[in-house]
Amino acid sequence: MNLALRDLRRRPGRFALSCLGVGLLLTIVLSYSGIYNGFVQEALGLIDTSGADVWVVQRDTRGPFAEQSRLAEDVRYRMAIVPGVVEASPYLFYTVQRAWHGRPLRFAVVGYDLHSRLGAPPAIVAGRGIAQAHYEMVTDAKLGLPIGTTLQLGLHGYTVVGLSRGMVASSGDPVAFLSLADAQEIQFVKDNWAIRSQREREKQTYEHALPIQPALSAQLAAQLPDNPELHTVNAILVRLEPGIDPQAIADRIGRWDYFTAYTAERQQQLMLAGSVARARLQTSLFRIVLAITATVIIAQIIYTMTLEKLQPIALLKLIGAPTRLIIGLVVQEALALGVIACAVALVLGHFTYGMWPRLVLVRFGDQVTLFAMVVVICLVASAMGIRRALRVEASAALTG
Amino acid sequence: MDAVRIDNLTKVYGSGPTAVTAIRDASLVARGGELVAILGPSGSGKSTLLSAIAGIIDPSRGRIAIGGTTVFDDGWRVRDLRRFRREHIGFIFQAHNLIPFLTARENVLIALQIRGETGASAVRVAQELLDYLGVGDREHHLPEQLSGGEQQRVAIARALATSPEVILADEPTAAIDTERGQAVMALLRRIAREQGSAVICVTHDRRMIEGFDHIYHVKDGVVSDDQLLTRPSTEVLVEAHRLREAP
Repeated sequence: MNLALRDLRRRPGRFALSCLGVGLLLTIVLSYSGIYNGFVQEALGLIDTSGADVWVVQRDTRGPFAEQSRLAEDVRYRMAIVPGVVEASPYLFYTVQRAWHGRPLRFAVVGYDLHSRLGAPPAIVAGRGIAQAHYEMVTDAKLGLPIGTTLQLGLHGYTVVGLSRGMVASSGDPVAFLSLADAQEIQFVKDNWAIRSQREREKQTYEHALPIQPALSAQLAAQLPDNPELHTVNAILVRLEPGIDPQAIADRIGRWDYFTAYTAERQQQLMLAGSVARARLQTSLFRIVLAITATVIIAQIIYTMTLEKLQPIALLKLIGAPTRLIIGLVVQEALALGVIACAVALVLGHFTYGMWPRLVLVRFGDQVTLFAMVVVICLVASAMGIRRALRVEASAALTG
Repeated sequence: MDAVRIDNLTKVYGSGPTAVTAIRDASLVARGGELVAILGPSGSGKSTLLSAIAGIIDPSRGRIAIGGTTVFDDGWRVRDLRRFRREHIGFIFQAHNLIPFLTARENVLIALQIRGETGASAVRVAQELLDYLGVGDREHHLPEQLSGGEQQRVAIARALATSPEVILADEPTAAIDTERGQAVMALLRRIAREQGSAVICVTHDRRMIEGFDHIYHVKDGVVSDDQLLTRPSTEVLVEAHRLREAP
């Protein structure tokens, strides 16, 4: 006969409510593990699916995600001739926010080379991939734009032709994939008013420098490009032949004057050491606080449940119940509370994490860790109740 | 052999000028099959005496023997008193007699389980006892679903479950009406006769003292024997008790 079960059976509603309360608390503890995993997954998603072995960026920067990096697009040709390199492809990454149907639409733009496909969306879950050089895009389903939607970006409209899933920037913004040329145009092509202003400014600069040669100054000014940065990219993605050591190639490129090269692994480390590291610290601290809170709450519940049983415990002692039976009663109730609350947390999490605004990725290891943590918490929390139960004198049963 | 024998038992609470003597040189004997009453007003020390017999409190000096085994002797006491209790003593008291989250049958079974007796045989014993005490049809009811008299009978069943040599009853009729109280006392008398256990019953309820084999009076910690009044009429006992309590 299990006394703990018999006792819990007496007030099932109240016990269920306690389990639900603790379960909700544990859901938050578990969520924070999932949120951190989600941060990591999202932060590394673009790097992992890019297909690049080496990332070449502007000298001494940690681009393109952790820091701004600017390179000329034609650097790709210099990289392509490095022995061991199969392919070198330009890559552009920036964030855009537009108003769309009365709501802000914030997303990251990735511009990639349609031929090499380095940096392209890894999988299309609906529609198709980009099939023409201009005015098409693939967006992440999280952005909420249905296929066929045309979005005005800069001077042109771009139509959603396909959807990807799970492709977001480290900030959690969903990604829109465009051809490199389109992505460059959206970012760097000025509107007509800006071009006219720039031309006037350049003309006046030359007139000031060459006051006695107005024709020459006008000719020089006219030769300047309206969009000088149009062929700028943020990184060059490099794919290597099988068996080539990425670190050796990165070191070799890094010796050149104007570039810094990172292996994909190093690029991941840079990403995690940045904003994700801070998020990790934040979530870890929060988890510790929540774990302590859960311990205190479980201890309070167990202690209260023990206080309500002091008379029966005294009676059990009076009729000769061994100490282990009384300890078992308290510990089993604490464990029952913890295990049921843990199950509540797992089930609740399973059915709700999909609705959270950012990815919550709970792994099996996190669930096992939570379970182990709950068992430890329950054992610690029941100590107070056990102490109280053992202090009860058998004579208390006689005095009522 | 005496089921319970107490010689010159003294219990003092505290020390120095604040010391209070609850029991003073008490001696008591109860034999198997006897129904013994410890009678006295509130605060007289009768519950302290019962607690000392039960091994719940350590006397200051004196000797207690149960079933021929010395439990306490001038500061020395048997090592595992809780175990001794579960093997030799059954308890019945006025209220809160039962574990509230166990059914009537489980309340009896727990006493057997504590002694290591489980399974179908334990269930059978519990059921037989409940039937014997007339509450067999209430076996699946929780204590809160039983009347005071039924609760008391379940408690008696639990006390009997381990076939103890001694049953200690602390005010067993205090929480029930006179009619049910008399029924409980009749039951205790029957048990003492049929089971051969010594039943020691602490009470201050003068209505219930008829039919005891021995009556011990406790007043201000002093225990006196009324052996000469064995099986007296109720009127005589009540008068005797009134005289003892008179200032």
